[in-house]
Amino acid sequence: MEGGTYRSGDIKMNKFLALLVIGLVIATGFTMVTYQVFFGGFTDLHNLSKTPAYDLNGTRVFTNGTVLMQISRVDGPDTYGGFIVLVQLIGPNGTIVYQWNAQQLGSIPASNIHNQYPLHPVHADGFALVVPLGQNASVVLNVPFALKGGTYTVRAYDVDGQDSAYGISFQATVKAS
Amino acid sequence: MLKQVDQAQMALPIMRITLGWLYFSAMLRRVVNVPAKMIPSSSAYVGGKLITFIPHAWLIGGILQYTILHPALLFDFLVLWTVLEGLFGLFMMLGFMSRLSGLIIALLAWGIGLGAGWIGTTCLDEWQIAAVEGAAALVFVFAGSKWLSVDQLLVKKYPDGLRIGRWHIPLW
Repeated sequence: MEGGTYRSGDIKMNKFLALLVIGLVIATGFTMVTYQVFFGGFTDLHNLSKTPAYDLNGTRVFTNGTVLMQISRVDGPDTYGGFIVLVQLIGPNGTIVYQWNAQQLGSIPASNIHNQYPLHPVHADGFALVVPLGQNASVVLNVPFALKGGTYTVRAYDVDGQDSAYGISFQATVKAS
Repeated sequence: MLKQVDQAQMALPIMRITLGWLYFSAMLRRVVNVPAKMIPSSSAYVGGKLITFIPHAWLIGGILQYTILHPALLFDFLVLWTVLEGLFGLFMMLGFMSRLSGLIIALLAWGIGLGAGWIGTTCLDEWQIAAVEGAAALVFVFAGSKWLSVDQLLVKKYPDGLRIGRWHIPLW
């Protein structure tokens, strides 16, 4: 059993050595491959949990004034935030048609928020719309008047003032239906 | 040669006990310190952690989503994971079935690394944990533990490991 008692050419030793090399490749492989996959460590070093980013793809705007904001937190810290404090609806000619401030976003009733996953829900906390990491929700927002047809942009701002991070703009441009 | 191997073996408990404690204490935190971590209706429930892995999980994103969407499965998974961490963390500290314990702990480390590996606000935290714990645990698959261990007693009595029929399984 003692490794030191093996002689070279020993079948048991050769088998052990072969397995050891496989182990070495697996352990080193995990370390190096995930370094690249998760952080681009050998090419474009990045850390996606530094600052929040939101994906608004799937957002819909209706001419009756309803905005279904599809929001998913795709980057940033896992234990805290993120906090959406301003949502703008930008009209076909580039002007702000309507916007929801922190107070409005912070008081959206739970019935107007539909979360994809049962835990860590998107919710209003009185100060902001809280969007936990990994959650994906559809949030009903209402414009108090009817909208003309055309293309609208829904843009969200994090409490840090950013509306983009890691090359992702926190917005979606869609045709009103 | 033999003497050098023995000296290397005598150094291994330094790593074994800390490595084992990292896993054993994970179970303690969830079961003894803050039992609410294991209660699905509690805000402390750790099942929700899996959601945070989803955005950039590697290879296991689909499994994570499926598990989170099925709360009963998520709870069972969490219980199984916690039992494995507690049991094999303790075994690693005791040097009991060190080769098997090393394999299980390596799989736990790398498994969670595939999900959480991209997360780390201070450094590359989760990746560092998974990489070093996985590699450290794998060392014991090959080295076993021949000093300050239960295995050193077992190996005297059963030098060929666990015997099932004609198979000899080197658990220690």
